[in-house]
Amino acid sequence: MNEEWRLLITEDISAYKNMAMDRAELVSISKGNAPPTVRFFSWKPRAISIGYFQSLKEEVNLEACRNLGVDYVRRITGGGAVFHDKELTYSIVIPESHNQIPKNIMESYGRICGAIIKGLNHLGIKSSYVPINDIISSGKKISGNAQTRKAKTVLQHGTILMDVDVEEMFSLLIVPNEKIKDKLISDVKERVTSVKDILGKNISFSDVANAMKKGFEEEFDVNLSKGALTDEEKDLTEKFENEFFSTKMWNHRR
Amino acid sequence: MQNKCNIAMQSHSIYKVPDGKLLKITLEYDEEKNLINNLKITGDFFAYPEEAIELIENKLKNSLLKRDELIEKINLIIKNNQIEFIGLNAEGLADGILMCLK
Repeated sequence: MNEEWRLLITEDISAYKNMAMDRAELVSISKGNAPPTVRFFSWKPRAISIGYFQSLKEEVNLEACRNLGVDYVRRITGGGAVFHDKELTYSIVIPESHNQIPKNIMESYGRICGAIIKGLNHLGIKSSYVPINDIISSGKKISGNAQTRKAKTVLQHGTILMDVDVEEMFSLLIVPNEKIKDKLISDVKERVTSVKDILGKNISFSDVANAMKKGFEEEFDVNLSKGALTDEEKDLTEKFENEFFSTKMWNHRR
Repeated sequence: MQNKCNIAMQSHSIYKVPDGKLLKITLEYDEEKNLINNLKITGDFFAYPEEAIELIENKLKNSLLKRDELIEKINLIIKNNQIEFIGLNAEGLADGILMCLK
């Protein structure tokens, strides 16, 4: 019988809570208090997340965010700034010692991205992993991914773009040189795609989630069984949301 | 910021690490002594553990702004603290820092 992992689906929650939940799962799973967990989620309000090492003020147009009602949050993972709008975001939290997870970080990116690639395949989209942390389809990026390892536990989260508005994205991000903004926007349009672009129609969050569930089950040879946060994880989520991810101290720290 | 007594300078660089990520450096340095006063390393790279970046920033204070010495020092910090970079390396970090002087 296949190993059972937990599946969480948490639609339409805030940036702060989303990042707090990933970290809460990381703590509880590192202590052996919950099984390996895959979560599919979306963001409400829409939000920008920045990588752990990025400077908030250098990357994000805070005034535009306020005007458009877009939140911003610093992740605990490295990588770049992401505008979380029409997408499915996933996270996987699993002990580093699990036999399905390569010890080598780059290999583990490839393995986890393999689940996303299989999931996209269920939607009729052919894609491939391009190191360091992208998945591309027809030469264009459809998914970005970021991993951290803490307390001998792996957390990887990433996006699957369902639709993308590059102009709006660039109104929220700081462009180093305004003179080349138009060129940058046209370049990014050439380099980024979405489920809707490829299939020519809108696909619902739950259809993408169902495809991704199958992708993870096939890649890791497990059953994903729908569950809920433990009481410990609920408490930790609230704590991390209030004490870290919603605070100026955390978000403006670099 | 310029101070006639200490010749303290501040500069910023944006550097695409070859085969890596975008590195942004804010450097405060002593122009006369060619030493790092303060350093902020930002960008879309990955480092494990993440907190190591603050350690590197601190340990590079008072370092000489010379490529070979910086690379040697960064590699030593990486080795002693079991840091793993992805999308960044000691050479890229040294080059990003030195780009602030151009």
